[in-house]
Amino acid sequence: MPPLPLQTLRIEGLHKSFGANEVLRGIDLEVASHEVICLIGASGSGKSTLLRCVNLLERVDAGAIYLDGQEITAPGVDDNLVRRHIGIVFQSFNLFPHMTVERNITLAPVKVLGLSQAEAAEQARVLLERFGLAEKRADYPDRLSGGQQQRVAIVRALAMRPRLMLFDEVTSALDPELVAEVLEVISELAEGGMTMLIATHEMGFARDIAGRVCFLADGQIVEQGPPARLFSQPSDERTQRFLRRIVDAGRL
Amino acid sequence: MEAQGIPEPLNLYARRSRLLSSGRRGAALSTASTVVVIALIAAVFLLAPGSRQVRHTFFNPTDMWRAFVGDPKAGYYSVGEALWLNIRMFVVAEILILALALVVAVVRQSTGPVLLPLRVVATVYVDVARGVPLILLIFAIGFGAPALQLTVLSTQSAAVYGVIALVLSYSAYVSEVYRAGINSVHRSQVSAARSLGLSGWASMRFVILPQAVRNIIPPLLNDFISLQKDTALVGVLGSIEANKAAELFSDTTFNYSSYAVAAILFLILTIPLARFTDHLIARDRARRLAVAGP
Amino acid sequence: MRQITVAAVAAITALTASVGLAACSSISSSSSAGGSGSGATASSSASSGSSAASCSNASIQKNLYAKGTLTVATDKPAYPPWFENNAPSNGQGYESAVAYAVASQLGFSRSQVKWAYEPFNDSYAPGPKKFDFDINEVSYSAQRAQVVSFSDSYYDVQQSLVALKSSPIVSKHSPSDLKGYVFGDQVGTTSLAFINSQIQPTHTPKVFETLNDVKQALQTKQIAALVTDTPTAQYISSSEIPGSVMVAQFPSTGEHYGLLFAKGNPLVGCVNQALATLKSNGTLAKLTTQWLKIYTSVPTIKP
Repeated sequence: MPPLPLQTLRIEGLHKSFGANEVLRGIDLEVASHEVICLIGASGSGKSTLLRCVNLLERVDAGAIYLDGQEITAPGVDDNLVRRHIGIVFQSFNLFPHMTVERNITLAPVKVLGLSQAEAAEQARVLLERFGLAEKRADYPDRLSGGQQQRVAIVRALAMRPRLMLFDEVTSALDPELVAEVLEVISELAEGGMTMLIATHEMGFARDIAGRVCFLADGQIVEQGPPARLFSQPSDERTQRFLRRIVDAGRL
Repeated sequence: MEAQGIPEPLNLYARRSRLLSSGRRGAALSTASTVVVIALIAAVFLLAPGSRQVRHTFFNPTDMWRAFVGDPKAGYYSVGEALWLNIRMFVVAEILILALALVVAVVRQSTGPVLLPLRVVATVYVDVARGVPLILLIFAIGFGAPALQLTVLSTQSAAVYGVIALVLSYSAYVSEVYRAGINSVHRSQVSAARSLGLSGWASMRFVILPQAVRNIIPPLLNDFISLQKDTALVGVLGSIEANKAAELFSDTTFNYSSYAVAAILFLILTIPLARFTDHLIARDRARRLAVAGP
Repeated sequence: MRQITVAAVAAITALTASVGLAACSSISSSSSAGGSGSGATASSSASSGSSAASCSNASIQKNLYAKGTLTVATDKPAYPPWFENNAPSNGQGYESAVAYAVASQLGFSRSQVKWAYEPFNDSYAPGPKKFDFDINEVSYSAQRAQVVSFSDSYYDVQQSLVALKSSPIVSKHSPSDLKGYVFGDQVGTTSLAFINSQIQPTHTPKVFETLNDVKQALQTKQIAALVTDTPTAQYISSSEIPGSVMVAQFPSTGEHYGLLFAKGNPLVGCVNQALATLKSNGTLAKLTTQWLKIYTSVPTIKP
C-alpha cells in the first residue's frame, strides 16, 4: 500500500470563467496536512471562487484538484461523496432558518453519514459545549447573534468530520466585537491540527495563525510565503500596493 | 455648518397627517366615515323600489330554511346535505393537487439531462392544463371516459371524474406557486446544503421545500378556496352538489333564496379556514424569528 | 380647524341617522306595494273583465311588452317536438304552433309575433319581464304560481321512460324493480319530483343541466333510463338516440303545461279565452296529433 500523501489538497492549473469573465487564471496551490493557509487579496480577486471550486460548488473549466492524492475533478466522481470530506463556512452563515441549532448540526450526519439521531445529537452537544454554545441547542438561528450563528455554522461543518475546512470571509459580515469569538474558534481548530484554507481580510489574524499566506490578484497567486516575511517584505509590486492600502486603512 | 446665522426652520408637519395621525381624533373620523359609507350602501338597498321583492326572492328566511332542509319528493334536495359532496370532493382533490403539483414543480426545477423528457412533459402539461377552461375539462373527462366503454375507467361516479378534472387543472396552477416558493429561497441555502454532502433531492426535501412552502401558504390557501367553489362545476355531470341543490330548489319554487344558503355555507367553510391559516403562519413566525437579538 | 372637524363629524352622524330612520320607515310602508315589477294589481287571471270586447287586439295593446307586437319567449336550444330546427319563428313544432294559434286568436298576424330568448332560470326572476308570455314546457304548480302567473293548460303531461334497448329496465320494470335503477333527468323539469315521489328509487337520481347532457349520459350508460315528458321521450327514442326505446309512460298525476306570464299580467285572461276557443274548435287536438304523434299503444306502467 502506498504511503499516505502528506498533501491534503493539491490544486493544479485551475481555470474558472463566468461567461466572458475569467476569474481564476491558473491557480497552483499545495496544502500540506495540518497546514493553515490564508488567502488574501482585493474583492473580486477570486478567493471565494477558488474556495467554491475546491468543494465542487463550481465546475472548473481547466485544471485538476486532488484531495489526499485522489483527483476530485475527474469525470464520474460523485460530488456529494467528495463534499462529505470538505467543510465550508460562508460569509453569511447560511444556517437553515426553519431548523433549530441542533437540527442544523445533526441533519447531514444523519441523512448523509447514516448516524442515528441519538449519536448525531450527542456529537452536536459535545461540539456546542466545546465552543460555548450548549444552551443555544434548541434555539432557532434567528434568535442568535451574528457571532453565535457563525460559530454554529462552523460546528455544523465540523459535525461531518471533514479532512479539510474552508473559510470564506467568515468574519466580514460581523460586528467588530463579535469577530473575536469566531477567530478564537478557528484558532482552536488550528491548534487541534485541522487542515484549513482561509480567505480573510483580517490581516492580524492571518499573521498569527497562518503557516503560509497567499496573495491573489488578477486570478493568480501572485505571491505566497510565511506571514512574517510576506507582510514585512513583500516582493511583488502588487502585493506591496495592496498591503500599503491595508496599512493605511489601519487594518494591519 | 451654516456660515450665515441660524438656518431656516424645517417644515416637518404635513397638514393632513396631523388630522389622521393624532390618535383619538383620527380614529373617530375614520370610524365615522366607514359607518357613513356602509349606511349609504344599506340605504340604497333598502330604499330601492324593488327592495322588498328582492329581499323576498333572494333572502327569504322561510325559503332559505326549506332549501337547507330539502324535500326530495317535491323535487329539491337539502343544500346542507349536498354540501357534504362538495366537501368530500375538495378535500380529496386538494390532497392530490398538493402532491401532483409538487412533483411537477420539482421536475420543472431540476437540471441535468436525464430528466429532460420529463421536464418537457411537465411544461406541456402546465401550459395545456392552464389554457383549457375547467368546465371543458370536466365535460371531456366526465362524458368522455364513460364513452370509451372501458371496464374500470368508464364506470366511476361523476364525483370521481370531477375530482380527476379538478386535480389535473389545479395542479398546473399550484405547481407554479410551488415554483415561485422554491425560487424565493436564496441560493445560498442550496450552497450550504450541498456543501454538507446532501444530494440534490435531500437538499430539496429537507432544506428548500420546508422554507419554500412556508413562503407560499397564502397563495396556496387562495387556490384551495377557489377549488372549493369550483367543485360546483361538477354539477354538470349530474351530481347533486350544493349549487345544483340550490338550483333545483329555485327551479321548483321559483325562489332564489337557496343560493343565499349555499353562499353562507361556503363562507362558513372558508372564513374560519383563512383565520386559522393566518394563526398558523403567525405562530410559526413567532417561534422562528427573533424578537430582539442579544 | 378643530371646530370644523367637530362640525363635520356631527353633520355626518346626523346624516347617517336620518338615512337610517328613512330606511326603517320605508320598510314598513312598502309592505303593501306588492311584488310585481309591472305595477299591476295582484289579482287572479279570471277577474279582469272577460268580455270579448276587452280582448280585442286594440284593447290589449296597453298590456303588451312592445306595442303592436306579441313577444313570446322560449329557451335555447328549443327541442323537438316542441320546436323544429331550433327556430321558433318557423311555426313548426307543437309549442311554436300553439303560440301562433293563440296570437292569431288575439288578432296578431304572423309577422306581428316576435320571439325572445329567455333561459328557464331567468324566466321567473323578479322584476319586469322582457316578454308577454314564455312557452317552454313549464309545469304549473301552486308554489310557482305565487311568483308568476300561468295560463290554463295547453298540454296535459305524463312522464315517460327512455332506455337503451340493452338495458334490463326494458323487460324488468315492476314497481319494485324500478326502485333499483339510476334515473336521469333535466333541471327545471318536474321529472325529479316525479321520480322521488312516485318511483322512490334507492339511488339518488342524476340531474343534468341540459337535455343533451341527459341523452349523453344515457348513451354512455351512466344512467339506466331517463325520465321526461312523453312527447320528448318519443322523439328521443324514435329519432335521436339509436338503439334506444321508450319503455313506457306513467299515469297522469294531473300535471299540465301553462304559458308563463309576469305575476298579475292582465293579458292572462285574454290568453285563457283564446285557449278555450282553440280547445273547443278542435285546433289544439289537431296540433297535438300533428306534432306530438301520441300513439295510444304506448304502454302505461305503474311507478
